[in-house]
Amino acid sequence: MPLQALDQILEGRRSQPNQLIEVLQDVQKSYGYIPREAIESVSKGLGVPLIEVYRVASFYKAFKLKPSGKHVLTMCAGTACHVRGSGLLLDHAVSQLGVKPGEVTPDGLFSIEHVNCLGACALGPIIAENGSYHHHVTPAKLRKLIETLRSQEVEDAHYDQAQQLPRTGTPAPAAP
Amino acid sequence: MTRLNSYRELEHLRQRLLEQRQTITTTVMVCGGTGCRTSNSQAVIDAVREELTSQGLDGSVRLCVTGCHGFCEQGPVVIIEPGNIFYCHVTPEDAFEIVYQTVMKGEVIERLLYEDPVSGERFKTEGEIPFYKAQERRILSRNRLVDPCSIEDYIAAGGYSALPIVLNGMTPQNIVNEIKASGLRGRGGGGFPTGRKWAECMETPGDEKYVICNADEGDPGAYMDRCVLEGNPHLVLEGMMVGARAVGASKGYIYVRNEYPLAVKNSRIAVEQARELGLLGNNILGTSFSFDVEIARGGGAFVCGESTALMASIEGKVGEPRPKDVHTVVDGLYHQPTTLNNVETWANVPAIILNGSSWFASEGTKGSKGTKILSLTGRVKNTGLVEVAMGTSIREVVFDIGGGSANGNKIRAVQTGGPSGGCLPLDKFDLAVDFDVLAEAGSMIGSGGMVVMDEETCMVDVAKYFLTFLQDESCGKCLPCRVGIDRMLEIITDITEGRGRMEQLDLLEELGDTISQTALCGLGRTAPNPVLSTLRYFRPEYEAHIKEKRCPAGVCKALITYRIDPDKCTGCGVCLRSCVHGAITGQKKEVHVIDTQLCQKCGVCRSECKFDAVQVV
Amino acid sequence: MLQYVNLNIDGANVRAPRGTNVLDAAIEYGICIPHLCHVPNLSDIGACRLCIVEHVVNGRSEVTASCTLNVEEGMVIRTNTENIRRLRRNLAELLVAQAPNSRAIQDIALRCGVKEVRYPFRNEDCVLCGRCVRVCTEIWQARAIGFVGRGKDRHVDFPFGIRPDFCKQCGNCIQVCPMTIPPCDGPMKPGEEYLCLKCESQLMDETPGSCAWCKLGEGFGCGRYVGV
Repeated sequence: MPLQALDQILEGRRSQPNQLIEVLQDVQKSYGYIPREAIESVSKGLGVPLIEVYRVASFYKAFKLKPSGKHVLTMCAGTACHVRGSGLLLDHAVSQLGVKPGEVTPDGLFSIEHVNCLGACALGPIIAENGSYHHHVTPAKLRKLIETLRSQEVEDAHYDQAQQLPRTGTPAPAAP
Repeated sequence: MTRLNSYRELEHLRQRLLEQRQTITTTVMVCGGTGCRTSNSQAVIDAVREELTSQGLDGSVRLCVTGCHGFCEQGPVVIIEPGNIFYCHVTPEDAFEIVYQTVMKGEVIERLLYEDPVSGERFKTEGEIPFYKAQERRILSRNRLVDPCSIEDYIAAGGYSALPIVLNGMTPQNIVNEIKASGLRGRGGGGFPTGRKWAECMETPGDEKYVICNADEGDPGAYMDRCVLEGNPHLVLEGMMVGARAVGASKGYIYVRNEYPLAVKNSRIAVEQARELGLLGNNILGTSFSFDVEIARGGGAFVCGESTALMASIEGKVGEPRPKDVHTVVDGLYHQPTTLNNVETWANVPAIILNGSSWFASEGTKGSKGTKILSLTGRVKNTGLVEVAMGTSIREVVFDIGGGSANGNKIRAVQTGGPSGGCLPLDKFDLAVDFDVLAEAGSMIGSGGMVVMDEETCMVDVAKYFLTFLQDESCGKCLPCRVGIDRMLEIITDITEGRGRMEQLDLLEELGDTISQTALCGLGRTAPNPVLSTLRYFRPEYEAHIKEKRCPAGVCKALITYRIDPDKCTGCGVCLRSCVHGAITGQKKEVHVIDTQLCQKCGVCRSECKFDAVQVV
Repeated sequence: MLQYVNLNIDGANVRAPRGTNVLDAAIEYGICIPHLCHVPNLSDIGACRLCIVEHVVNGRSEVTASCTLNVEEGMVIRTNTENIRRLRRNLAELLVAQAPNSRAIQDIALRCGVKEVRYPFRNEDCVLCGRCVRVCTEIWQARAIGFVGRGKDRHVDFPFGIRPDFCKQCGNCIQVCPMTIPPCDGPMKPGEEYLCLKCESQLMDETPGSCAWCKLGEGFGCGRYVGV
């Protein structure tokens, strides 16, 4: 688990407790989650008690304490999307992938998050996947999306194998 | 861009920019807001730009990437001036035709015009489209004039005219009086008189005061703040500058929700550009007024829309509200006097300074002045952002602007104010959009969310949805909110699953009343509203769930059954293939059957069936 | 030099130092306001909401927690109105339905007039009063425990769920915890919880709200006992 990026993130912010949330957001972006070592380094770097950093990391939805899947399906659960059936979409995603929101599929490829409103309400139901927004999603569209992502992964795996490249995937979970 | 050191230099810059733009004969505005971007407007922008360049029109035609126009379902949206020609659903392939036909030859492309989904009528200009016609778009209309990432656009369009007025001719007391006289009330949900808030902050001694823009916009289904901040960040900044001058603040924050990356980006660019011109920083425009702004991002917590939780978040702590027996204008961010207002509130300020408080107060009702941006969503034909004068009736918004039902179902309720608000039935649609009127009816304007519901919406399910949301977002500190909402949800879940008892309805009311009086913060205190308002106006529906174990709207899973209508089924097998639970059996060309034991009522078969053969009973 | 202010609580004229809160002032004068998360010498967070009172401002009554309301000159407070008693009873009902397996919680329910519990009982072993966290943070300054998570998930924990080496096991967190003493008839089996109604508290909800040195206070350290 390379932690050199942490020094960069903490630069210019050392001993400034009010930067805690900004720092954690950068950590989340760099690592895909907040590793334990990061919490310990941030606590020392910013001068915030360890329990406080842990508290903030566990309070806000943007911070994950466990790694996510490679493809994160963020499903909007806002009112407008709900009225258009986002609840059923969530059930469908759960049964298609076999994991509940917050969990990762055994192959490390997918996880489901639900978020309370992405602000594109007129185009709901919305599913965001690693930054790109899909609109007017139906169970059929969702199925297609998952299949497309899966087959893309298979293709990439074959390509990497042919090139004898190491498989890239999610970062290995930190040691407990 | 060189720093402006005086009001005169700002005016010279404005004149120069207007002169430069005199060679522009046509402006093509392509929407780059989040909604249209989701519909791939970036490709449209690139295609139009390429087309204009290849036709050699760069000098006389201006391509302006604007913010959101509020009609996202019709996106990507392209508007051409002169002529106010409004094109919808534009694809990159249309770019050539738009440039060649409309820009160069002045001809309208019929198939790109807005088409009424029911009558088929096409409308040429924005002003003629029924959705826009009945609106009063004082704030939203400004989005069409500017590229949010261009401070020059804002200045050329007349922006940063209020700032010099405030710095040169008005004392802080003058400014506060003007805002008070306008009758402006907070647009974020509280509806607190803005002038009074500023007055109290101004009068509190302190040499390190703050102004904050609350762009957390947590209400699900509401995106007006996103639209204004993404599309016209300088308008908000200018409002904050006026406020800072009034209350005596030297530092400001725009707290943007984590889920709005484009708004964060555009606000950051706007602040950078303002700093470059010297409109933020020390000695602004050569006066003694110094003010700077920083962007703070949320971490994903609805409760951080509450002012004390928001301030805690800026301080790097968990977003737990604290009691407000002492107002935040006295003891706020870092314990300093702080004025926190919503995006839309700040956006209204520059126009009040420019046009005067009586101009602002000429629109609206006695208690609610000006306009309000509403987010109209749900089971209605035209969804989008709607700006109307206060006092407009709900009926006008839903039927005249919204166009009525989207699919022929009967509209029966509207939910206003987000999770803190309530549901109002059809017979209350003559009520006006007004802070006090809606509050008295058991709902509220809130941030402006308005969700239209029809006969396929179960009101008990709506209450359950909001309780689930609030339970998820509660900070958990105080007992009535953390445990009370949980228990209300427990009861409502019993009701939606057929285990309800009549005495639970009284318990819901009493528990709701207790939570509304004892919870620590606004989230908790308003949490019972969806339940209490649906109980008040839709009690028979609750009773049907309890006494008859029936969900009249056909929504609550435990109380409905999916079945295939043998008269409509053609045996095509689409449903069988799409069912992930293996609940459908049948031979080709024969009527298919759903095994109700295996059926999870996920709705996939119903949405896949092209013959409308899957029924909910 | 302490500056004093005069305020009115339940019709009685009370003098209290500026900077103290209404709950402390009331306790000092023997006016009984039930409370759970308040502990003398620790900061007040206003989490349990049991100490709510009516603060009369411009003719309107605002319901607010007395532990976080600082005394002001001329303040008018009412601690025992019918509305307050009803609200407290409902809150105490929620509390005892969450965690009946504690003598202190049963006592509070009785003191606040709970006669029946209309919710299914649960058997939580923490009521999230925050006393342990505050004692660790403010008195011992070890900061070994804190509130983690949000909403329903909120719980008290060590960082990463592992006791750090700077927790010296002083035991103060356990000492202030209201959940440590089981009900008089012994611990309740999950699924068989009930409202005890027989702990030795002499108070019912009809009392005028003055302190009677009840066993409730003795049991878990009511402010009146600890402060004196």
